[in-house]
Amino acid sequence: MLRFLLQRGGQALIAVFGVVTLVFFIQRITGDPTALLLPETATQADIEAMRATLGLDRPLLAQYINFLGDMAHFDLGRSFVQNASVEEIIVSRIPETLQLAAGALVVALLIGLPLGLLMALTKGRFISRWIMGIVLACQSMPTFWSGIMMILVFGVWLRWLPSSGTGTLSHLIMPSIALGLLSLATYARITRSAVVDEMGKDYVRSALARGVGTKRLVTKHLMRNSLIPIISITALELSQLLAGAVIVETVFAWPGLGLLTVQSIAARDFVVVQAVVLLGAFVTIFANLAADILYSIVDPRVRLSV
Amino acid sequence: MKNTLKGTLIAAAFAVGLTPLLNTSSIARDITIDLSGEPATMDPHKQWNPTSYYVYRNIFDNVLTRDNDGQIVGQIATSWKQTSESTLELTIREGVSFHDGEVLKPSDVVFSVKRITNKDFGSQQLGQFNKIVDASAKGNVVTLTTAGPYPALMAQLVKLSIVPEHVVEAVGDDAFNAAPIGSGAYAFSEWDRGVSVTLARNENYWGEKGPFDKAIFRAVTDPATRVADLQAGTADLVVSIDSDAAAQLSSNSAVKVLSAPTERVAFMGMNLDKPPFNNKEMRKAASLAIDRLGITEGLLQAGEIPMAQLSSPAHFGYNPNIKPFEYDLAAAKVITAANADLASTPATLATAPVFDQRIVQAIQQMLNDAGFNVSISMTDMPTFLGIVRSDPADNSELNFGRWSCACQDADGIAYPLLHSASNWSRLNLSEIDALLETARSSMDLDVRQAAYNEVHQMVRDNYYSLPLYQAAVLYGSTSGLNFKPTANESMFLNRMSISE
Amino acid sequence: MLKKAKNYKPWLSAAFYWWPISLLTLLLFFAIFGSWIAPFDPDRQNLLARLKDPGFEARGAVYWLGSDELGRDVLSRVIHGAKVSISVAFLSVILSGSVGVAVGMAAGYLRGWSETILMRLVDIFLSIPAILLAIITVAVLGPGFINVILVLSLTRWPRYARVAYGQTLTIANRPYVTLAHAMGASAPRILVMHILPNIVGPLLVVATLEFGLMVLFEAGLSFLGLGVQPPTASWGSMLSTGRNYVGSAWWIATFPGLALFLLVLSANLIGDRLSDRIGKGHG
Repeated sequence: MLRFLLQRGGQALIAVFGVVTLVFFIQRITGDPTALLLPETATQADIEAMRATLGLDRPLLAQYINFLGDMAHFDLGRSFVQNASVEEIIVSRIPETLQLAAGALVVALLIGLPLGLLMALTKGRFISRWIMGIVLACQSMPTFWSGIMMILVFGVWLRWLPSSGTGTLSHLIMPSIALGLLSLATYARITRSAVVDEMGKDYVRSALARGVGTKRLVTKHLMRNSLIPIISITALELSQLLAGAVIVETVFAWPGLGLLTVQSIAARDFVVVQAVVLLGAFVTIFANLAADILYSIVDPRVRLSV
Repeated sequence: MKNTLKGTLIAAAFAVGLTPLLNTSSIARDITIDLSGEPATMDPHKQWNPTSYYVYRNIFDNVLTRDNDGQIVGQIATSWKQTSESTLELTIREGVSFHDGEVLKPSDVVFSVKRITNKDFGSQQLGQFNKIVDASAKGNVVTLTTAGPYPALMAQLVKLSIVPEHVVEAVGDDAFNAAPIGSGAYAFSEWDRGVSVTLARNENYWGEKGPFDKAIFRAVTDPATRVADLQAGTADLVVSIDSDAAAQLSSNSAVKVLSAPTERVAFMGMNLDKPPFNNKEMRKAASLAIDRLGITEGLLQAGEIPMAQLSSPAHFGYNPNIKPFEYDLAAAKVITAANADLASTPATLATAPVFDQRIVQAIQQMLNDAGFNVSISMTDMPTFLGIVRSDPADNSELNFGRWSCACQDADGIAYPLLHSASNWSRLNLSEIDALLETARSSMDLDVRQAAYNEVHQMVRDNYYSLPLYQAAVLYGSTSGLNFKPTANESMFLNRMSISE
Repeated sequence: MLKKAKNYKPWLSAAFYWWPISLLTLLLFFAIFGSWIAPFDPDRQNLLARLKDPGFEARGAVYWLGSDELGRDVLSRVIHGAKVSISVAFLSVILSGSVGVAVGMAAGYLRGWSETILMRLVDIFLSIPAILLAIITVAVLGPGFINVILVLSLTRWPRYARVAYGQTLTIANRPYVTLAHAMGASAPRILVMHILPNIVGPLLVVATLEFGLMVLFEAGLSFLGLGVQPPTASWGSMLSTGRNYVGSAWWIATFPGLALFLLVLSANLIGDRLSDRIGKGHG
């Protein structure tokens, strides 16, 4: 196990390094921020001068080596668009992102998992179809649509909740629901499918024949064996929630990392994008690593391999 | 199901319980303004960003400013005298102090000029001020020296903010950006990154004090959310809404729409080196095909005026005698039919999401109805800028843009779009270059106007560019707020008032 | 809990079964034959007839579902939009699914170096924000229909890979697989004949989920200005523009939204039935 952890950990770091390098070079192919930073009336000379000031006129490789050097000192660099250190910018967004991610996961898990389980257990009956209908409805609306609808209904017409922004728990409610709805449907459906698969297996019939109670059956056997697909999806959802909340953050003016990413990409603010990608890469890759470890714990038949 | 119901009840209870905390009282002593993005920085010399300017123009005073009718008046400078073609003397106001209590001295003005023109400082605005080569103070007079005659100097000084030398030298640029100190009507209070910037009234302001205790500027990127915020009472003033959103607000008596014509000129640039628009008849057909009135009155409806020159009534250098472009679809079709091969050359209309896509699509339709073969290529802003400024061979055949120099002077629009040295321009005509340079370097207003008149007429006759209309800006506000939008899109808090 | 399904009226049950398929067929019909059925040219603007209510009549022709912000007929755009939205989603699923499942199965069965390299590749692709990939693809390749499919596929294939990988890990040690291996079957043969049929259940669920998601993501790309080029009508771009008019011209967003909703719903219900059928009999 230790060997596994060390080797996978090492690979994970290489993968993270790979992502950041890839993003470093890809970004610079698509142009640089000087055109956006300067007034329209700027001449070519002005543009060249600004490029030199920002250090963007150096050869790519030189910039890359500089970047690596900064990384080694844990220096994330300085945003010339926002005139602040990248660390300060990112740190100011992390709490908001975590709040939103937690809120969305709460919505998705607490509602999605039980719904999925319920659907599987009542399979074939009318109620199962109704639940499925509601779940599918949640899944069929783009977040920018459900977002503006909620803002209109709860923010403008009923005035129960604030129409945008952050700060209190009531600000968190609508964005969490908007973001969690899609995940909710995913969890419900995957849980249902996995539990249904399990229920068809022989050991379930034999357990019932032996007189094992429903509750024990569900918790000890069904849920545990259905966990693998659920784990796969959680790892994926987690990485998605970080940067994938872009639309929700845009609609609700929620200042998280997703909105920062899209704005920084639009402004060609390379250093900020690199830092966000680095953060996201860490979370994704290590979340997947955790998922792989969990696979082996949950299903001993899966042997760990490097 | 049970979980969902319980969850809903809890959420509802929370909402009801917290509602009293969401204070949206109508006797607002504070003002909340929704901007379309976050300010990039609070340092007035360190960016070129309208959103930042909305905020910091209230923190800092500038050398000069424009009144609500667009005329240049003094702010930190009380009077000025052009002592020679390249020197300007400014008398500095007395009794102005910064937010930290220190008096604003002429040396602060000199410091600010030198800071912004310092190449090493790397200001994005350097190009606007780099004709100023020296500044010095004697008594309460500051003398600015330019490299040769520079008629646009006064217009540029409207944008030059005065920063306190003693603070900047003491804390450094970064710290100054995080906690700016100016002499304006509002003092910086707090910056919650990504969320909002808060300003507090300067009780010791030398001029007209602001009516609000606090001003909170929020960053709300999505226009539909800004409109919702206004209707929900979360915001008192929202910027950048389009005419259809404004129409939706008209049915709500608690809010109103404010508009003013601006110095932004919408135009369609053409690649004069590639077919089909390297041919003057084709360009003429394109102009005949576009129904400018249909766009301004049918789509925009906020007081936009069709333009036939690269300037507007808000600019110096505007010529009211230039004949408007004609709209004649039948005539356009005749021309394209006579040159069918050329007209059917595939043409790309480059655009970016920030532009009003209704206009872009309407133009494409109008051109295609006339017999052209235009398709839209929408890319993000940096890519768009890259395309539009590239060599003629790589440039798109058409591009839609809205130009503003924030100077209200024809030099700021005609020069970049028409002079051969500019990378926006597709022209390479020595006559036009000569006229533009004369206008740029003569201090005689009549000489300048005459030069621009000729330039505008040449553009009109040869269709070198297709100006479309003078744009207007739209704001939404609560009905009790008195705010007069200006042509340079300034938002001075201390020029607003509240009526109950 | 595990009782057999109550035997409610057979026709009700049949209706529940068949209506998603009929609906999907209807939508596919629009997608294929739309150009012939639509009453107006979907791109034909009429600046004098902007934002008109459903049922508005002009010059003898009726705008059954109203007109949009440029005076175009919403009904015609919804019909034409079927083609765009369905093909974008379908092709993206095919492309990302094939690549993802192949990678995942290979990694889960072959183990060793193949597994390492392939799964780390999956990690790398998962870590690059989708929006970054989208903007870069558009900047490098230009905007357009094909590139939207490419963008969607590039961002989604890792999901299929992870699920296929997890499933293959479980199945790979089953007796019939090891037996086939012992009998000398080649790896591709084992993958296709023995493993694939057994992991198809959850994968089909993922694929149908993804189909719906692709329709929604195309809408998201339009919202961010990176989707199909204007003036092409796709349900996503109509929803995206229409949301600015929710309070006044509700029809611009509601009808494409409804169409989108019905498409996703029927696709998911069908996928549901399929996975039930296929999932049986393998334990």
